[in-house]
Amino acid sequence: MDRRKFLKTSGAAGAVAGGVGLGFFGYEAGRDPDSYTGWKNREGGFQTFNRIKWAVEKPTYTKTGPSRRVDARTEVVFSRMGPLFRNWKEEEGTNSLPEYLRKFYETNPEVLELDLRVKNELFPKLRKDREKYGHKFILAEAWSDAMGAVWPKHSQEPPEIADFPEKKGQKQLKMRSPEKTSKLIKKIAHQLGSTLVGITKLNPDWVYSHPMRRRGIDTDKPFKVPEHWKYAIVVGVPMSWDPMFANPNYGTSHDAYAISRIIAVRLSTFIKQLGYAARPHTPGTEYDLMVPPILVDAGIGEQGRHSIVVTPELGSNFRPAIITTNIPLKPDKPIDFGVQDFCKTCKVCAEQCPSGSITKGNKVEIRGYKRYQFNAASCHNFWYSKLGNMGCRVCISVCPYTRKANWVHKAALDITAHDPTGLADKALTAMQKIFYPGPDPQEYFIPSLGGKNASYRKPPWWLKTEDFIDI
Amino acid sequence: MTFFTSGFFWFIQGILITVIILAFQVWMEDKGVKMIWWKWFLWGLWILVAGFTIAFIFTSLGEGEPTAAVKGGIIFSLITITSGVGIWRLINKKK
Ligand code: SF4
Ligand code: SF4
Repeated sequence: MDRRKFLKTSGAAGAVAGGVGLGFFGYEAGRDPDSYTGWKNREGGFQTFNRIKWAVEKPTYTKTGPSRRVDARTEVVFSRMGPLFRNWKEEEGTNSLPEYLRKFYETNPEVLELDLRVKNELFPKLRKDREKYGHKFILAEAWSDAMGAVWPKHSQEPPEIADFPEKKGQKQLKMRSPEKTSKLIKKIAHQLGSTLVGITKLNPDWVYSHPMRRRGIDTDKPFKVPEHWKYAIVVGVPMSWDPMFANPNYGTSHDAYAISRIIAVRLSTFIKQLGYAARPHTPGTEYDLMVPPILVDAGIGEQGRHSIVVTPELGSNFRPAIITTNIPLKPDKPIDFGVQDFCKTCKVCAEQCPSGSITKGNKVEIRGYKRYQFNAASCHNFWYSKLGNMGCRVCISVCPYTRKANWVHKAALDITAHDPTGLADKALTAMQKIFYPGPDPQEYFIPSLGGKNASYRKPPWWLKTEDFIDI
Repeated sequence: MTFFTSGFFWFIQGILITVIILAFQVWMEDKGVKMIWWKWFLWGLWILVAGFTIAFIFTSLGEGEPTAAVKGGIIFSLITITSGVGIWRLINKKK
């Protein structure tokens, strides 16, 4: 064979080999466990997004008027359900409720209707369907309970006692500089297993006017923000990826809740050992403050249409905890990586939400800030309209930002973040809807409510009860 | 990380693409077609599009998104084929 012929044959063979190689590369990149960005990397290496590049002076929400702090006793759905069910007497109506709750429901009768629906209609239907179909989710529920089994308790003392070091006479150690302390705190947070860490000055607007759990605070009186709550440190880890994509029934918040909670309690202990005050605010419900805007302030991400914060690394697939402290720190800047623009065209979460709780409209003014309207009561209704693990999280699974960190989704993220025209947002939204469709949202419901117990994606093999247990 | 997601894989791909470029040049010389800069540019662009299509299909399969693999495969393959035909006609001109 002459040299030219040999070269041409080699080129043809090389083209075939290169193409096949790319196929293998793609397949491996798609299934690579390293693309499940997560909490196991203790060096902070997974906080991969270059936040400094997107740092902005002001957060990506807009203040439009005088603000009002949230009354968690009534405005946080988990807080009002207990007192409602304990006190409600049909014949007396709202008069059977404590004063603060009566006032709230009288001003918001549509919320009362939705909250009572849980007890009157949804519980009985759910019980019936659980008997018939519940076995499908035995492993998912067992796994969720296992993740939630380790649950450090919080102090029930007031913040003036609980937040400070327990050792009598412990002095505040002199830190060399806020910059160095921030660097140290972030390193420790990563060492404790946190995927995300951010720091901000605490804006008192985000602290509940009446917190939702007592935790040493008299929730009947307006709560004065303690002076030692100067900074907020945010930590957060993802929920396990494969079950998360199989929401609303196979995923669980408990895995990330438990890990974030443990990290927050440990980080608080670390700070107290240096002589400073620290208070963990942790999931499920032991927060004294609203979490999403603090995450935005700390540069963790931007608040999306579904009200949850979207991060560059994990999309919305994470559960945060917050530590309020007085140790002097250098705050991070908020970031803008294009989520506000993308949400304008995307609306996938609103289209896939089974309860219609996410608006398809524009932002409106809420408590002095412009944001998307969200119906927490109807969202909570849906939690009792499906089987499997508590909660729903479909809006997290379907969000285009909640994707594995492989080359396809990283490239899409970079394109949206860099595109000033909005054309890429439109093209990527169309691709999202064509390539990654979900079921008809009605199918997420239990059969008694006209559904099919559907999930966004199939469960991972290790949560398929029927493959392991003889029912 | 496996071989196919390692740096060594891309080193091998680099060698393969060099061989492909040399072979293409010889092939075009034999056909009497002169390769000038914009022809190389279009050719390189097409290689990227074709590579993207292959990698997209298999990445989608790997991450458990068969719908994306099929629909994306059809759309991107059509783009690859039509752009390939167009680019080939431009490159194949003798002048
Ligand atoms: S959790 Fe479910 S029901 Fe609630 S807003 Fe998200 S998608 Fe809708
Ligand atoms: S699904 Fe779309 S609209 Fe909803 S939060 Fe995510 S990017 Fe925004």
